[in-house]
Amino acid sequence: MTLRNPTRRTTLKMMGTSAGLIAAPSIIRPAYAQDNVLNITTYDKFLPEGFVEQFEKDTGIEVRIRLTDDQGKQYNLLAAEGADPTTDIVTVAGHRLSQFMASDLLQPIDPARISTWDNLAGPYKGAPQLVRKGEVYGVPLLAGFEGMVRNTDYTKPSDSWGLMFDPEYKGFTTYIISDFVSITMKYLGYDGDFVAYVDKPEEAQAAVNAARDFLIEHKDMVRKFYDGGAEVQQMLVNEDVYVAQTWSGPAAKLIMDGFPIELSIPKEGTYGFLYSFNLVNHAPNVDAAYKFFSALLANPEVGAAMTRQSGFASAFSGVDKLLTDRERAAIALPEEQIARIQFFAEENRDMKNEMIDRAVAEIKAA
Amino acid sequence: MRFYMKNPQNVFLTGFYWAFVAYLFVPLMLMTAMSFKDSNFISFPIDSFTMKWYVQVVQDEQFLSAVGYSLMIAFIVTIVATAVGVWIALLASNEAIWGKAIIFALACLPAVVPGMIQAISMRIFIRAIDVPTGTFAIILGHTVHAVPFVVIMAMTRLRSMPSSLVDAARDLGADNFIAFFRVTLPYLGPALVGGMIFCALTSIDDFVRTFFLGGYQTTLPMLIFAKISGGMSPEINAMATLVLIATGAIGLYAERRVRRSRN
Amino acid sequence: MTNDVLTGGGQGARTSRARYSSWIGKVARSPFYRGTIGLLAENRVARLVVLLAVPLAWIAFFNIGPILQMGNISLLANYPLMDGDEPVYTLAQYALFFQESLYFVPFLRSLVFSLVVTAATLVVVYPVAYYIGKVIRPASRNKALLLLLTPFWAGEIIRVFSVIMLLANRGAVNALLRELGMIDRPIPMLYTYFSLSFGVVYLIALYMLLPLYSSIEKIPNSLLDAAADLGAGPLQRFRRVILPLSRDGIVSGCSLVFLTSIGVFAAPLLLGGPNTVIFPEIIAQLFHGSNDKWPAGAAFSIIMLLISLTTVGLFMRVVGGRNVKLM
Repeated sequence: MTLRNPTRRTTLKMMGTSAGLIAAPSIIRPAYAQDNVLNITTYDKFLPEGFVEQFEKDTGIEVRIRLTDDQGKQYNLLAAEGADPTTDIVTVAGHRLSQFMASDLLQPIDPARISTWDNLAGPYKGAPQLVRKGEVYGVPLLAGFEGMVRNTDYTKPSDSWGLMFDPEYKGFTTYIISDFVSITMKYLGYDGDFVAYVDKPEEAQAAVNAARDFLIEHKDMVRKFYDGGAEVQQMLVNEDVYVAQTWSGPAAKLIMDGFPIELSIPKEGTYGFLYSFNLVNHAPNVDAAYKFFSALLANPEVGAAMTRQSGFASAFSGVDKLLTDRERAAIALPEEQIARIQFFAEENRDMKNEMIDRAVAEIKAA
Repeated sequence: MRFYMKNPQNVFLTGFYWAFVAYLFVPLMLMTAMSFKDSNFISFPIDSFTMKWYVQVVQDEQFLSAVGYSLMIAFIVTIVATAVGVWIALLASNEAIWGKAIIFALACLPAVVPGMIQAISMRIFIRAIDVPTGTFAIILGHTVHAVPFVVIMAMTRLRSMPSSLVDAARDLGADNFIAFFRVTLPYLGPALVGGMIFCALTSIDDFVRTFFLGGYQTTLPMLIFAKISGGMSPEINAMATLVLIATGAIGLYAERRVRRSRN
Repeated sequence: MTNDVLTGGGQGARTSRARYSSWIGKVARSPFYRGTIGLLAENRVARLVVLLAVPLAWIAFFNIGPILQMGNISLLANYPLMDGDEPVYTLAQYALFFQESLYFVPFLRSLVFSLVVTAATLVVVYPVAYYIGKVIRPASRNKALLLLLTPFWAGEIIRVFSVIMLLANRGAVNALLRELGMIDRPIPMLYTYFSLSFGVVYLIALYMLLPLYSSIEKIPNSLLDAAADLGAGPLQRFRRVILPLSRDGIVSGCSLVFLTSIGVFAAPLLLGGPNTVIFPEIIAQLFHGSNDKWPAGAAFSIIMLLISLTTVGLFMRVVGGRNVKLM
């Protein structure tokens, strides 16, 4: 009955208890740096529960996971924390990696300290995208690329990015604007990754301007500029768009679910990137992180879980065997298309970011 | 009493009210309908129904602990923010205080700053004053954001309070504090309840401040955002539906209690 | 006078004896309390200090502190600072805003959009608040309010996705129209100003409802009766009695909605189209984007802050009239 009839006294007691709760020292000062703790910031379902539990049992290290949904927020958080980070391992997407490194947020890893390093699939051991000044940044997890998706019920096959500008699909296309400026540059015959423009700002600016003007001219083609994978999936499912530039993962997930779309790499080519676990600069628990990396690579199940959750191809060897036929089919592409992927380079990032950011703002404001 | 009678305006207003109810509810009913869909993505038409998403959600420890954690934070935030907000409102509506306008404007600041910017500046700020991230920081961040709502609601009501009420209480021998608890606070009643609803609501719904200020315990919005980044699925709809049903039930229960205690 | 509908009774209904057996009475009789009150009653300064201490400390510490932090960043040439970098101060970020139509145009768009949304919300919500406050029986008011409050607990992101499900090409509205044979091709409603306004009003109507309700509800019925007895028609009653007396609610509701809508960010991102880019999106881009543009983002936030606060201040002065001595 006391519960049903809270008096002022019980209310006061409750308030007192909660005040005590706030003041509890363990809550005020959660120790991020202590023995046997590892702090990981990653996506939902990337780390299967069973794996984490087993790791905790084997090593006595407590794993704490903070879920993230967005690279930008993860970057901002680390940047705001500066030299006193609350996380040891972050999950970085390749197109963002240079930004994290340029801001001094990551530290290189030593593959020799990861006993299972050789379990990475061939091309990803020391993949050039993760190497900077001779040092390796991060354990590669997943490989993705920027592909073209079309709804097979409403559109004709095409092997060119030109489909995105086909007047027939006016108002039925969508893209991530900052990525698509690069792709448009490629489509128009320029170098969208700016490697060719080192020390040639005028040439670069002319190329960006050409792509910008082209996109502004075709702005009426676009239904929406989107940002996240869930958005483009929802737009395709709702038939708000028929043709889209997407990252391979979200598209492959729709294919796994049996939605009638086709993912391809057009003949003009595209850009690829890796997802990786990276060690944060000034990370409080480096040793635990290395133990974790070793356990991670020993277990292809983890790679399979990540692939199922994200739709991207795994960088671990042995994952293929664990996937169903349907899952395999969704992420497989013909050899000649795979050959069209160009991975983002390390050079000239500042110029690229500067110019593309500006072009993006101009296209949006037009 | 004649205003409760049927007349053309009232018929129109009744219709308008129910249209507004439909505006608020129809989208959510679609969302609920989708939570029964036997498919991994949400869209019309719904061909076959299933309860599996609910089974999955109810068994999901992460979801349950996120709900509990969010509720705990919202509860504390509501109490602290209401106390501070009323205090500020009293100050800003006191005739004798110089610079009321400035105090009021400053008190409203956190309502104006876009969430993400506030979250980042708060994150840098608590680092400067050496408060670690975690539950305490989340509560602080949410409270700072919630206070302006209480201030605005309370001031609206305070402004219309006849000063004769407090004067009368004083004449009857009450000191300032008794007058405050016995006269001012009850007069503030509806505005305060409104303000508290805002506090609880903004706290439970807050994603961006929580992300920047939180530690490694997940709140409900963080969980939902993280799940959505892997693709919208009926599972998320099932979660939202459960939260809605729970709030509706709690609200109804509270309303009945209030009514009974009055009778 | 006091119609404490939502809090319920308890305060006014009891006898005076019951009152002083409550905890307030006990506290009031305690020697500690007597002593403090004695001091406060005699000392005007002490009274002021009590009134001022918590609010001022709170405002100074938690409201102004982080903003100063932002202000500091907005004046820096670059941030986050690298190890060993010396901070360089500049006003360039502020100049940038006024030099470039690139930023200026979305800002104006944002301002106009928020004003329109505020006005639209007022028009939509006012009749609802009036209906609950004055038309229905007082006993049903809480239920009527409760019904409207429930949807807001679903969370912003969920409600945005429900709007998408309503308005999408294969959403409920288009599906219904197609079933009825009224259209062959879906009407594109999503990713336009329409869907954006629909969604934003949907998200923030509550911020208008509660203040409006709380001010309409306390208008004495006797005034309305009197006006009617004097021969005032419904319109005249509304214009001469109800509207002026609910002005406080309008002012605070509009302020809340305006301030909230100018800062909304998630909804425009998900519901807006290529031509509805508004200012918070630009600011977010500066923080999130691929380059370190925090100082510019901070400067723009401060500009937005000042202008929206000024707008609200002006609004309060103009609409609030003489008896609102706020600004």
